[in-house]
Amino acid sequence: MIFFDNVSYQYTERQESLKEINLTVNDGEVVLVCGPSGCGKSTLVRCVNGLIPHFYQGILTGQVTVGGKDVSTTTLRKISRHVGTVFQNPRSQFFNVDTTSELAFGCENFGIAPEEIEQRINTVVNKHDMGHLMDRSIFKLSGGEKQKIACASIAVEPVDIIVLDEPSANLDYKGICELQKMIASWKEEGKTILIAEHRISYLFPYITRALLMNDGRIVKEYTSKEISSMPEDKLHELGLRAEKMTDPSDIKISVCDHTGQEKLILSDMKYSYKGEKPIFDIPRLEIPSGEIIGIVGANGAGKSTFLRCLCGMERTCKATLTVGSERWNNKMRRRNIYMVMQDVNHQLFTDSVLEEVMISQDEENKEEALEILEALDLREYADKHPLALSGGQKQRVAVASAIASGRSIILFDEPTSGLDYEHMLQVSRLLKQLQEKGKTVIIVTHDIELLRNACTVTIKFDNEMYRTDARM
Amino acid sequence: MEKNNRLNAKDLINVGIYTAICAVICCAVAMTGVIPVMMLLLVVFVPIFTGIPYMMFLTKVKKFGMILILNTLMGALMWVTGMSWYALAVGTVSGLIAELIYRAGNYSRKWNGIIAYAISGIYCWANYFGIFFNAEAYFSTRQNFGQEYIDAVTGLLPVWMCPVLLVVDIACGIIGGWIGTKILKKHFVKAGIA
Amino acid sequence: MEYRLNRDVHSFLDPRTKLLLLFTSSVFVVGNAGEKWMFVFYWILVYLPVLLLFIEKEWKAGLISIAIYVGSYFAQTALQNDLTAIESVLALMLYIITKILPTVILARYIVKTTKVSEFLAAMNRMHVTDKLTIPISVIFRFFPTVAEESRAINNAMRMRGIEMGAKKSTEAVEYRMVPLIASCSIIGEELSAAAMTRGLDVGKRRSCIWKIRFGIFDWIIITLCVTCFIWWGIGRFFI
Repeated sequence: MIFFDNVSYQYTERQESLKEINLTVNDGEVVLVCGPSGCGKSTLVRCVNGLIPHFYQGILTGQVTVGGKDVSTTTLRKISRHVGTVFQNPRSQFFNVDTTSELAFGCENFGIAPEEIEQRINTVVNKHDMGHLMDRSIFKLSGGEKQKIACASIAVEPVDIIVLDEPSANLDYKGICELQKMIASWKEEGKTILIAEHRISYLFPYITRALLMNDGRIVKEYTSKEISSMPEDKLHELGLRAEKMTDPSDIKISVCDHTGQEKLILSDMKYSYKGEKPIFDIPRLEIPSGEIIGIVGANGAGKSTFLRCLCGMERTCKATLTVGSERWNNKMRRRNIYMVMQDVNHQLFTDSVLEEVMISQDEENKEEALEILEALDLREYADKHPLALSGGQKQRVAVASAIASGRSIILFDEPTSGLDYEHMLQVSRLLKQLQEKGKTVIIVTHDIELLRNACTVTIKFDNEMYRTDARM
Repeated sequence: MEKNNRLNAKDLINVGIYTAICAVICCAVAMTGVIPVMMLLLVVFVPIFTGIPYMMFLTKVKKFGMILILNTLMGALMWVTGMSWYALAVGTVSGLIAELIYRAGNYSRKWNGIIAYAISGIYCWANYFGIFFNAEAYFSTRQNFGQEYIDAVTGLLPVWMCPVLLVVDIACGIIGGWIGTKILKKHFVKAGIA
Repeated sequence: MEYRLNRDVHSFLDPRTKLLLLFTSSVFVVGNAGEKWMFVFYWILVYLPVLLLFIEKEWKAGLISIAIYVGSYFAQTALQNDLTAIESVLALMLYIITKILPTVILARYIVKTTKVSEFLAAMNRMHVTDKLTIPISVIFRFFPTVAEESRAINNAMRMRGIEMGAKKSTEAVEYRMVPLIASCSIIGEELSAAAMTRGLDVGKRRSCIWKIRFGIFDWIIITLCVTCFIWWGIGRFFI
């Protein structure tokens, strides 16, 4: 049982807070905590797993009780015996390098007998059919596989409460299906589950109720039925993502005619990891220029790698892109195509937003840089450090420097992973702005809503490799 | 936050992370050490380049022991990757001294941090001990180098160079630490992550 | 197909043996203790890591190492007497490489074949404090992360045309270092949070699913290492 008695919390270093939370979660319940980003849902979850007050700095008032114990007076180690946590970012939640040890890690920390851990691992692995993931290096797994290991390692632990903090943020369709199965089996075992999430439709079959949060408060409570029958626009109004689960390979694409339109022609692109069979092999692909092109496809089809190859970052991949009368090799593509990476942190280098835009210009021109910032709503942040901004703002800074670089083709790798509805719309407006400027925008995404909202052309990537472009 | 002064898992993980970053940078710099002249310049480059991550590390240090452990591990890594065991011994002692200096500054004062960094970095200088204290043995196994070269090197490295290198190392440590605090202020403090 | 966990560690040697070997190798190969007196052991310790590579089926790395050894041996004999300064420099470089290579191979072998969990347990049995073992295991875990992150940053720099030496070199260093440290510090924070919610703590008894014990090969290596030290002792104090 989880019990919040008039709990308020304020981080020392951050804006978000919790205000006067009263909540009781009974054993065996599956509760969804939803709301737009910054509403406090992650903060609420951190009160349950003890990271608040034991890890993050801030001021907590009121009392949180988990399984009869007061969280603030129980050590994190003792809480963790009862509460297991799955985090948002699969790359940073592993302590071990190999998957099998990671599964055992929690139990080992509690000093559970090896024979018992062995048995638990066998049960979980067979139940979820993940033998092929065992004894592997976590650095060689895909995002979805990592998240599955993260879930399984919690399943191995003898905990009775499981909290998930935006577990689907970095997952594609297949990954979410796996996550669903995991949650279903926990529910069956009678565990109490608390999920913070804004992409919610995949959870409808399992939840017993949903709490809507806004600005640190629980503003509304819905039964499972109420929320799952809510129309799309109502969910959007609440800042939630409404997309129904759609298998990208089921996306219907009708061929349409781009004759007469100028095209970029990609030819002879082949890529394989050392000594393995090629992950894609594209003899010829026509990309209509000046459009917003969405690339969708099944998991593991190498979409991100495709983008890296397209902008000339992968040295071993040789390909040519014909633009008008020019033929671009790797080096030319690197100079003429701009890529906004999934983790924008990697591509922001300077100490102010303005500077960041200016180093991209061929010749530094402050006026023009400020204009670009103005157009992207970043004018007021010109002097701020790019790393101090929110995720969405960082992305806009990257786009601003893309515009400043004057390059005509801009690539995006999963620009909306983990974003709520409002922020997704923002991105989609941004993409349209770029199109208006005459840029060709190419996006790799598993976000169906973004695809519907922004993309004018869709290219489907599957194991057969690329094919078909069309309007959705 | 746990109020007590025992090191917890978070502190130890931080030590591990920054040791890894410093080690990677050291390693990248030390690669150039195969070129003999560069070997002498290691006391210049290593302290300057590791200053940035080290200063970032110091912002995470609030309890006794973290600097000491980082230094011991750096010394041990130096040793197993082909420097002398002196690096471990000197690194441990200098780590302890650095720890005390930084603690005297309440784990926050800027110049205590810079000095602590400069002192702790002398494990780098300790790598030359093999040449100074044991020059004959050092070159006896290197007979094939030709007397000209041995003379050149021993000429470059008379025993009095030993304290000179120490001074150079500490000076570069201070410069590196100072640059580190500059970068810290310019970037990490401004960005709100330090 | 049903999965059954095999608790026998697949690695050939116990972590403790590996560390002893690394220690011995540091003393006698890199540290050059005993010099000519240790001639035979010296060469055993130089070639043993290559053997380990072969046992791990890393044929390519193993063959390359042997090629380097043999090549530099002949180069060194060729560069024997009355060298010009440049030849001396070359000889010294070869010498340093051959000295360091065995320990580097060994260190890499250890990192690659030792599971974090196994390492923690082995160190625990030797009563080494968590204050050293936890950071060391994080270092293991973090090397690939640092490499991954810096590769991504490097790519981003190339794409944006800010390459090493392109503009000011101080900026090239700053631009590389700042995102790397920022990114690592964020990952570190999340890693600590995750590890602590899974019960990692200092000074608590842990269990270990891997069966760690000394096998026949461990004893062989241990005997070798101990003999090295005894032989060195004899040479040092009695002759």
